[in-house]
Amino acid sequence: MKKFLVLLLAAMMVFSMFTTASASSLAGTYDITVWVANEIVDLTKAQIEEFNNTNEMGIKFNATIEAVSEADAATQMITDVAAGGDIFCFAQDQFARLVQAGALAKLGARAGETVGAANSAGVVAAATAGDTLYAYPLTADNGYFMYYDKTVIPEEHIDSLEAIIADCEAAQKYFAFEMQTSAWYLASFFFATGCVSEWTMDEAGKEFVSVRDTFNSPEGLIAVKGMKKLVDSPFHLSSSQASEFSSGAAVVVTGTWSYTAVQEILGENMGVADLPSFEVDGQSYHIGSFNGCKLMGVKPQVDAVKAAALHQLAQYLTGEKCQLERFEKHAWGPSNLNAQASDAVQANPGLVALNAQAPYSLPQGQIHGSWWDIAKVIGDDVKAAKDEAGLQAALDNYYNKIAALFTMTAEEKNAWGVIGSINGDVWTIDLPMTNTDGVWVTDEAYAMEAGVEFKVRQGKAWDNAFPADNFKVEAAGTYKVQFTEATGAVELIAQ
Amino acid sequence: MSENNVTAPVKRHMGLKTSRALSNTAIYALLICISVIWLIPFVCILLQSFRVELKGPVGYVLPKQWGFDNYIALFKTDFPRWYVNTFVSALITAVLQTIIVLCMSYTLSRFRFKMRKPLMRFMLILGMFPGMLTMIILYRVLSDLGLTQENAVPGLILVYIASSGMGYYVSKGFFDTIPKSLDEAARVDGATRFQVLKKIILPLSKPIVIYTILTAFMGPWGDYVFAQYISFGTSSGMNVAVGMYRWLNHDQISSSYTMFCAGGVLVAIPVTALFLCLQKYYVEGVTGGAVKG
Amino acid sequence: MKKYTDLEFLKLSKGKKFLYKITRFFCSIPQKILGIFVALWNLIKKIAFAVKDEAADIFSTFVHGDWKTKVSFLVMGFGNLARGQILRGLLFLLFEGVFIAYMVLAGGYWMSMLPSLGKVGPEEKYDFILDTYYTVYNDNSFKILLYGVLTIFFIIAFIYTWRVNIRQNKMAEKILASGKKLKSGKDDMRSLVDDQFHKTLMSLPLTGILIFTVMPIVFMILVAFTNYDGAHDGYYSNLFGWVGMDNFNTMLNWNVNSGGSVQSYAATFGEVLAWTLMWAFFATFTNYFLGMFVAMAINKKGINLKKLWRTVLVMTIAIPQFISLLYVSKMFAKNGIINGFLMNMGWIEQALPFWEDPTWARITVIITNIWIGIPYLMLITTGILMNIPSDLYESARIDGANPWQQYTKITLPYMLFVTGPYLLTSFTGNMNNFNVIYLLTGGAPTNPAASSAAGTVGYTDLLITWLFKITQGAESQYYLASVVGILVFVVVALISLVVYNVLPSIKNEEDFQ
Repeated sequence: MKKFLVLLLAAMMVFSMFTTASASSLAGTYDITVWVANEIVDLTKAQIEEFNNTNEMGIKFNATIEAVSEADAATQMITDVAAGGDIFCFAQDQFARLVQAGALAKLGARAGETVGAANSAGVVAAATAGDTLYAYPLTADNGYFMYYDKTVIPEEHIDSLEAIIADCEAAQKYFAFEMQTSAWYLASFFFATGCVSEWTMDEAGKEFVSVRDTFNSPEGLIAVKGMKKLVDSPFHLSSSQASEFSSGAAVVVTGTWSYTAVQEILGENMGVADLPSFEVDGQSYHIGSFNGCKLMGVKPQVDAVKAAALHQLAQYLTGEKCQLERFEKHAWGPSNLNAQASDAVQANPGLVALNAQAPYSLPQGQIHGSWWDIAKVIGDDVKAAKDEAGLQAALDNYYNKIAALFTMTAEEKNAWGVIGSINGDVWTIDLPMTNTDGVWVTDEAYAMEAGVEFKVRQGKAWDNAFPADNFKVEAAGTYKVQFTEATGAVELIAQ
Repeated sequence: MSENNVTAPVKRHMGLKTSRALSNTAIYALLICISVIWLIPFVCILLQSFRVELKGPVGYVLPKQWGFDNYIALFKTDFPRWYVNTFVSALITAVLQTIIVLCMSYTLSRFRFKMRKPLMRFMLILGMFPGMLTMIILYRVLSDLGLTQENAVPGLILVYIASSGMGYYVSKGFFDTIPKSLDEAARVDGATRFQVLKKIILPLSKPIVIYTILTAFMGPWGDYVFAQYISFGTSSGMNVAVGMYRWLNHDQISSSYTMFCAGGVLVAIPVTALFLCLQKYYVEGVTGGAVKG
Repeated sequence: MKKYTDLEFLKLSKGKKFLYKITRFFCSIPQKILGIFVALWNLIKKIAFAVKDEAADIFSTFVHGDWKTKVSFLVMGFGNLARGQILRGLLFLLFEGVFIAYMVLAGGYWMSMLPSLGKVGPEEKYDFILDTYYTVYNDNSFKILLYGVLTIFFIIAFIYTWRVNIRQNKMAEKILASGKKLKSGKDDMRSLVDDQFHKTLMSLPLTGILIFTVMPIVFMILVAFTNYDGAHDGYYSNLFGWVGMDNFNTMLNWNVNSGGSVQSYAATFGEVLAWTLMWAFFATFTNYFLGMFVAMAINKKGINLKKLWRTVLVMTIAIPQFISLLYVSKMFAKNGIINGFLMNMGWIEQALPFWEDPTWARITVIITNIWIGIPYLMLITTGILMNIPSDLYESARIDGANPWQQYTKITLPYMLFVTGPYLLTSFTGNMNNFNVIYLLTGGAPTNPAASSAAGTVGYTDLLITWLFKITQGAESQYYLASVVGILVFVVVALISLVVYNVLPSIKNEEDFQ
């Protein structure tokens, strides 16, 4: 039966690939809402118009375009998916939250393949949860580098954090690097010393199951020592806004999106460079960065036809042509490989600086939504620290909060489960049991060979486990396992 | 309300005169000081709104280049729409909320019925729950009724007025100060309760009516959090606070900050003007009522 | 603690009197709290007896009533119709009809789903031909809870109306038996603008309060017992369900995180609460005294341009806070104009940490709040000051009292007596003063020890802004926000209760007439 289904599935997919019926069946007019950043509202309007006129499927969109910033879109979507935009743009760090909230529709298999092939690998990974693509890459320039005022910072100083700080203090000018309110900027110091925070999701892409986080390590301590030099300076400013240049800043760490604004303020004095290095114990560390992207998502739809039409539009809007238009008009760095290769993109000064920073940057990957809140506190913690012990305490504090994300509820801690070589498993999965007045019985019956061994343990930990030696199954059969909490007796119940 | 009757006239002595002159000079100095501190932010906002050379926030106050560019730019955005939205909802709210508050406070001040005390106590307790939380529920209810996003204005008005009955304290305090003997005399003459309200109480209540209208009118201009929920990213349903607040977002502040200041000036004008005209009644209403809680 | 008799008390020195009063007050708190419980128990007993009496009355009405009354038990308003009160009868009948129709069409479903809050969550489907995923949405926990609560309200309303209907039958029988005439529809209408005028006046406001305040609050309280958050929004992501007291355990448990330096929610709550109370105290009293002082200064005899001074101050009331506060917040920034000015004048070497240092930030918000609050207080106290009988001052002056003595002996006692209730409401109002904190600092600077799982908590966060942050945080934990909301209520209610028992002027509302 299963095999037949698979065959049928394959057949239908092949069928659908060869038929154009599917395409023409999308013909119709759809009322939709599109949320994009304020800057590109007009451009998007024109692009959708263009799509209406050129697509061969007969799709017409009657689109209302709203300016909703990439930062707000996710929070809005999560508050009420129904009222959210049918197509919306968001920054990569919101991805996990949106998937969890059921606010993103999966890409179909063909769309997934096309998008996967057309965009750079890191960007595709950013839009993937489990093994499925959930969104369309929009830009690949969501990273940061340094803008500076050439009249304050001489060019030979731009490689050294200490020199820049000294210049700023001497000139009574501010060094703006968003250390106290943003984990995204703050992580740069940790990346400098090779620390990572890598998160793993379950296969369905809905929950995070584990993390490899090395912020709390000797390297992490070096990183916060470097950070302390910056945040302790009276002329450090926790901000990433271009406008700081007009209120006393000489350096602002921000991204390509600030390029025009900074140029307007500084004019010829604008300098752009990769981030500097800091020095701890005689060794120099080049400050790293996040290399992220912006994504475009389609809201899950009840109507499959409308959903398909929306995916067509999203694919178009994130395609090579539209990305290049966005680059030309607003200098948004494309994620599309062909667009990236174009000469104009290669020559853009903002993107050049971003590329100079690229060797020191890490792809953002999928990160737990709470991490951003947990990590951003490090900046304040480091600033408040009086000595090395204080810095270490900041890291401990951070680490404990990360660990707490994976702690179990009281109920889970108390629950008993069976673990062993049952079902061909090699002591990795705890089979769930249900409690009736202190007697725990497995939810399912399992076929067991003679010689299979197992134990019953509490809270997926070995602190409480019975029997002391492994329980051995003597005769093959289908059994449920029963465990009496009061006596610690483990028994098999033949089915 | 005459200005000078706080301290009673006293016999004039020369010593008193000089010491008074001295203390008055000190008070003048203080008042000038206070006025400057109080006016600085507004003057700054006003000056920024005429700045042309840079559109983001800057570290200096006086513009290098003056002009009306920001005001002109305002009208190319959705600002007029937000302004109308806010004005309409403020106007309607002012009317309806005043009616409801007066009904409620008049009743609680003049009638003695079985549930009166428990009702007042109940409303007092209700007022202790943080209203912030109920927003999400109200939002869902309104969105079920179709009164969010582009229809946000009627939705907002509904929410503003629906619970306004709880704000009866001040006007009840005012009604309490009107002697009951007036009502009773009229009742003896055969007037119904309704006629008493219309013919006797209302004419005496001009200050509190104006006070209520004024506070109700001012409310919607500053409402941000709830209005933001209700408009839910739809520009045509926003009020000035929600719409303009977005100009301070990271991605817009460097191009819209002076426009924000210009909008702020335009928003402040009607409210300030109205307030200044009706200040006298505000004081009378609030002293007649608020002190009684 | 020794309790003095009146005579002994009068003999005490001034300081001792004050001390005695304060100690008495604190000693009486446990008693007062006990008193609340006793009162609650009495209330429950009273309700139980009332229910018993009602049941007995309903039963006897049925047994002794005539056939018209008996039919009315099933068909509401029948008795009214049969006895000629057409308007009342029709209204009763209409209400019953609407109720039954509602229960059959919708109410029954919501009530049946209430215990589980939904059974089937959203399902993702795949369309092979279109190569597209789409979603089938099923039960909606949010709506089930919302409409379940509404339905319960409706049922209560129905039971009450049914009871009224029965009582009216009994009354009608009595009136007819005594040979009088029943009220006609016309009489009913007339009484609505006369002796029942209060019902007419209050029906609309009370309905609004019921639907837009009471219902959401009940809903909010219920949410505290569910797992409603961003990942369980009840419809689009997952259903949510009842979790019992779990959320309260999380919030009130001091040892929730085993790892040393992370604060439990309870510890964070304690810190935020402490600051909230501190803030409310300073915000209320600094404004109160400074506002009074400014009002007195402006009203002083011989000061000209009174209108101008007032107008300048009143501007802060008239200009929406989101404009003025946001601007003030920028003025105090590290590179804002205040620091810039001070540095240019050479008075300071480096920027003052107005928003960066916890203590500085707390003081700065209180000071900024004075800037906002003084005008209100100035207006309020101006009026009251004018109401103080001027002969009091005159006789004081004749007795040789200096201005300070006049202030402490006449002005202040009078003001405190009159504005006592206002002080209480403004204290609780300040505890929930969302705008000032949110627009000025957004809670910054952050408190590194506090748990970040529920949004980042800062040193200037009040309970109310923390609550808002929880709902906006990465996990949108509405359930936790509800718990905080309930705790805020408990704190505010306790404070009000204590103050109410102490303040004399609130109890006697007729005093002023």
